[in-house]
Amino acid sequence: MQDRPANSIHFVAAFLTGGLLSLMVLFNGTLATYGSLFFASWVPHLTGTVAALLFLAVMRPKRAEAARPPLWVYLGGVSGAITVMLTSATLNSALALSGTIALGLAGQMIFSLIADMRGMFGLPQRMPVSRDFVAVALVIGGSLILIFFGGAP
Amino acid sequence: MIFYAALAVLAGVLVSLSRQINGRLALSTSAMESSFWNHLVGLVFITAVALLIGGLFAGDPLASPWWAYLGGTVGVIFIAMGSWLIQRIGAAQTALMIIAGQMVSGVVLDVVMGAPGNVWARIAGVGLILAGMLVAQTGKRKIRQVPAGAKR
Repeated sequence: MQDRPANSIHFVAAFLTGGLLSLMVLFNGTLATYGSLFFASWVPHLTGTVAALLFLAVMRPKRAEAARPPLWVYLGGVSGAITVMLTSATLNSALALSGTIALGLAGQMIFSLIADMRGMFGLPQRMPVSRDFVAVALVIGGSLILIFFGGAP
Repeated sequence: MIFYAALAVLAGVLVSLSRQINGRLALSTSAMESSFWNHLVGLVFITAVALLIGGLFAGDPLASPWWAYLGGTVGVIFIAMGSWLIQRIGAAQTALMIIAGQMVSGVVLDVVMGAPGNVWARIAGVGLILAGMLVAQTGKRKIRQVPAGAKR
């Protein structure tokens, strides 16, 4: 343990980050019950832009590189915005909420594994080991039980 | 049905894609700056599509409670954390732990807010997820011990 304490910190941080996602679903989902689905995505992007500017002004993080990155790295927000539109379409189909979440988890996990194995988008390459697949099976299995039988997301 | 299933899978792929692109931007800038660009570019994109299709202010959006407007601020931290994590533990581990955190906290929120649900399914689901996290953790530690010369 003492040789890599940072490793546990990353796991805990990622777990807590998932908790933030639950709060976002609650907040943005509440917006969607009063306004349109567009509104429920437009407002958090607007307030988020302002909040990020404030965070940047206070934190003043150092830029990692002086060189300008390629333009495509600025398009992550488009991918995120399209996600909202796709899920609003599938929510109203026979898939409903549980099917949308379950298939979304599958897509996210499979693509993440492929991206790691190939070192896509200039990120470090990582080969998963058999234990990683056991972990994926357990977490996704537990998630599917919660989605279909637990009355959650 | 297959069409919608494909769309739902694609939505998951795009979540991961977005995190990777933002993570790449953070490699050149910072996690918070990647979160800023994610929100600004997303805002411009959604505004354009909403103007094209219309109905942005349909319904009664002003009637929603004030706290529902906090999603953006939480989202900024969420995206910045994703960018910070993906370069340290990889896309798959990041996705897996975020999913675990979302699911478990979702159950906690449901219980706190008194949402109906099956107790046994919740116990089984959370138990499996926690077991998976434990496996992921011990696995990582084992791998990292080998190059450190800690063979036994």
